[in-house]
Amino acid sequence: MKQSLIRNFSIVAHIDHGKSTLADRLLQISGAVAKRDMKEQLLDSMDLERERGITIKASAVTIDMEIDGVTYMFNLIDTPGHVDFHYEVDRALAACDGALLVVDATQGVQAQTVANAYAAINNDLAIVPVVNKIDLPGATPEDAAIEIEHVLGISVDQVQFVSAKTGEGIPELIRSIAAHMPPPKGDPAGPLQALVFDSEYDDYRGVICYLRLVNGTIRKGQKILLMGRGRTYVCTELGKFRPKMTPCEQLAAGETGYMVAAIKTLQDVTVGDTVTDAVAPAPSALPGYEPPKQMVFCDFFPSSGEAFEELRDALARLSLNDASFTYQPQHSDALGFGFRCGFLGLLHMDIVQERLERECGVDVVQTAPSVTYEVQMTDGDVIRIDAAGDLPEGTKVAELREPWIDMQIITPAEAVGSIMQLAEQRRGIFKKQEYLSPTRVMMTYEFPFNEILYDFYDKLKSMTRGYGTMDYHVIGYRASDLVKLDILVNGKPVDALATILHRSSAERRGRRIIQRLREEIDRHLFEIPLQAAIGSKVIARETIKALRKNVTAKCYGGDVTRKRKLLEKQKEGKKRMKTVGNVDIPQKAFMTVLEPEE
Amino acid sequence: MTTSPTVRALYVHVPYCHTICGYCDFYSEVLDTRAAPRLVRALTAELRAQRSRCRLEPLTIFVGGGTPTTLAPDLLARLLAVLAEPPLGAELEFTVEANPATVSPQVADALASAGVNRVSIGAQSFDPAELRVLERIHRPEQVAQTVRHARAAGIDNINLDLIFAVPGQSLDSWRRSLDAALELEPDHLSCYGLTFEPGTPLHEQMKGGRIRPADPELEADMYEATVATLAAAGLRQYEISNFARPGRECRHNLVYWHNEPYLGIGPSASGFVGGVRYKNVPDTAEYVRCLDEGRSPRAQQETLSPEQRARESVMLELRLVEGIDRRRFAQRFGHDPAELFGDQVRRHAELGLLEIGPATLRLTRRGMLVADSVITDFL
Ligand SMILES: Nc1nc2c(ncn2[C@@H]2O[C@H](COP(=O)(O)OP(=O)(O)OP(=O)(O)O)[C@@H](O)[C@H]2O)c(=O)[nH]1
Ligand code: SF4
Ligand SMILES: [Mg+2]
Repeated sequence: MKQSLIRNFSIVAHIDHGKSTLADRLLQISGAVAKRDMKEQLLDSMDLERERGITIKASAVTIDMEIDGVTYMFNLIDTPGHVDFHYEVDRALAACDGALLVVDATQGVQAQTVANAYAAINNDLAIVPVVNKIDLPGATPEDAAIEIEHVLGISVDQVQFVSAKTGEGIPELIRSIAAHMPPPKGDPAGPLQALVFDSEYDDYRGVICYLRLVNGTIRKGQKILLMGRGRTYVCTELGKFRPKMTPCEQLAAGETGYMVAAIKTLQDVTVGDTVTDAVAPAPSALPGYEPPKQMVFCDFFPSSGEAFEELRDALARLSLNDASFTYQPQHSDALGFGFRCGFLGLLHMDIVQERLERECGVDVVQTAPSVTYEVQMTDGDVIRIDAAGDLPEGTKVAELREPWIDMQIITPAEAVGSIMQLAEQRRGIFKKQEYLSPTRVMMTYEFPFNEILYDFYDKLKSMTRGYGTMDYHVIGYRASDLVKLDILVNGKPVDALATILHRSSAERRGRRIIQRLREEIDRHLFEIPLQAAIGSKVIARETIKALRKNVTAKCYGGDVTRKRKLLEKQKEGKKRMKTVGNVDIPQKAFMTVLEPEE
Repeated sequence: MTTSPTVRALYVHVPYCHTICGYCDFYSEVLDTRAAPRLVRALTAELRAQRSRCRLEPLTIFVGGGTPTTLAPDLLARLLAVLAEPPLGAELEFTVEANPATVSPQVADALASAGVNRVSIGAQSFDPAELRVLERIHRPEQVAQTVRHARAAGIDNINLDLIFAVPGQSLDSWRRSLDAALELEPDHLSCYGLTFEPGTPLHEQMKGGRIRPADPELEADMYEATVATLAAAGLRQYEISNFARPGRECRHNLVYWHNEPYLGIGPSASGFVGGVRYKNVPDTAEYVRCLDEGRSPRAQQETLSPEQRARESVMLELRLVEGIDRRRFAQRFGHDPAELFGDQVRRHAELGLLEIGPATLRLTRRGMLVADSVITDFL
């Protein structure tokens, strides 16, 4: 294939603006998928993606597109819209020369539209703006186009208007891609440089590397070198995504495809690494990526103590497919043996938990998510902790620092007041505010990450009747008046309920947690004091009164067995609880720490 | 089982009522007068079959249900005659359950002449509104009438069943029911807190939010009022829910609580013979078919290990005010219960719920109120 006929591009957008559906139309027009095999969001192949209707993992596909009798090769990558998976977008963009920026005609520019557009601009990519869903009754395509121009400085004239659903405007869009996206630049005869822009694990073939050929040509059977790790392999299979993996003999500069090379685990490959020839290596590696950073941490414990091994195996299995979460053994007095896990964000955490339960069949108890804190020790050391239990003794701590984020919120203008109030409660620092149009505003704030972890997004959504969107990234650590909030049940601190938070919110939160615990924990045969404390200072308390009556009727007609079975069932129910200092705490209670206030 | 010990207690289940009460969880159906004779025949057959297998010399017979007195007097008399076939132990306690308005003088005479000497009457409440919530069909004044008829026929040992913690019931209204019951000078009272059994219409109503169970605090207050009121009236508490004039404790129920053997016959009846607990099919038609075809009507059967027996003994005997006789328990199971269940005993003693005496192990007053929680720990 002549390089001038190749187009490498990503489809990026705010969540749900129609990226995957647009990819469907392109696939369909190219004839890559037979009509009977066509289904909606075809590239969302994971069960979870199909069920939730969202894209989690980017997928690449190669299609032949005939335009006026000339056949082009489109290598396109459908990306996820959710902020947790933004690193997937970054990876995809680095493997492309252009980006289709999709905007929903009923929603206009949203927070991830802006974030993804800037990511494309930063990568020097050509952008083809697309206003999608013009078939919808509420669509205002012109307004959306004006917003694109206004916010991103991309001229209205370049905007393509389409309906990914009906196919309207798609032929024009295809022409525009061929006309405005640049062909790849690399030299097919040069020394081999291929970017590993993604990887996946296959039970039979091991790791499958997704490659974008930047320079040179890779051939089946070639001895290759992964430059970052300095390890050599033999390339046993090459191919393209059409969209099924279809083997081929070689991939040349400008093309996108996959490589199998008997690589055993995902940990052996760094996404962003450069593949080169083992005998005649390229002089330098490609720039590569920063590894995704785990931002949110929580503990997973098996819901029954015996299932620890099962949980460990399940985590190992999942990490074969998802290298972006971390896990390490953890022990809690209350919950026993489990794992501390790191995630890219809350959605990612949810997804991993769901996959554990569904794909691996293990039930987990999850503790409150936490961010990573920096502790400046008095002896000059700096340590990082992500669990309240790891906080060193007060006298050894010179300063505590927490991560801050920069956040863009796009909202209807009438919600600005309530968002400002919410931001103030969450220690937000107002940076700026711009009107995207007379009715829509983009607000920029800085927040402590911890403050937006639980329910910020839900609150934003309800304040804006669903129209508000947000995007954020971590900007660094700042000193903060943080305290460890202990929860004591029957006089004993419950490690799994301890949290680190800002002093100003400790009392409110402490009160809330013990109120909820009082509702969750059944009455016992004795009175149970519940306390929230900072150090030795109790800041809130509640009492669960002792059970006064729990006795049922006689064994009628001498049906002793039934009575016994009834009581045994109650006892079974108790077994599934966690016992701390004689108190049976239902697993649900450990989640109360996660709950929104009010 | 070849060497079954002599069985001293017999329970007979008559699964018929005039209507089915909303809270009822017993196996019972609306009386079918045409099918009733066949049931009586089947009961007779089962009893005969059992007599040939174990030595039955009853000291107590309890005919429950359902409402046995819904049977036509001659049919009832026929059944009772079969039950009272010798050998009978001396001083037989022979109880029949009855509902108010089901004991005419004629029925009372039938009972008395068959040897019945104790009647247990489902009074439940003396408040018409509460009776409606319970879906009981009788009027309060019919309780007194029933008692009169029984006594007139010469049956002088009378129990009344009462239910407290009925939705909408106040502490005062419960006290009034207690007083009304005491006015009839019963020999025995059984007082139960209402439970919402899954599958009953009452339970459905609760789930649907149409009725609310009584506040647990109020229920506890009612219970404590019961114990105090009845003690003052000379009815001594001898089990969590049972009160009697001295000497009038229900000997049949004491067999259950002491975990001793008993034979149960009839649909859904359970029994405990030779270390085996069993339960009959809870289906009258199927029960009758079984006996017609010479099959066993047993639906479940479980042979208990000595340890299970010991645990059940604790579960049952702790309900008694006198508690567990440590020596007798040790003779029976080889271990002193205070040692066998050392942890549980210590824990509950520390909480003031269990009293460890030199000869007995028993619930304290406070322990009685939470007996289910305490007992569960021993299972
Ligand atoms: N009416 C109409 N609906 C569309 C159009 N394009 C997409 N949709 C619908 O919009 C919803 C989201 O579409 P997706 O293609 O999954 O969006 P996405 O951008 O891939 O979403 P994420 O991957 O989760 O970020 C689906 O219900 C689509 O059917 C369109 O042109 N018209
Ligand atoms: S009378 Fe007794 S057995 Fe009959 S339905 Fe009512 S509660 Fe049940
Ligand atoms: Mg998608």
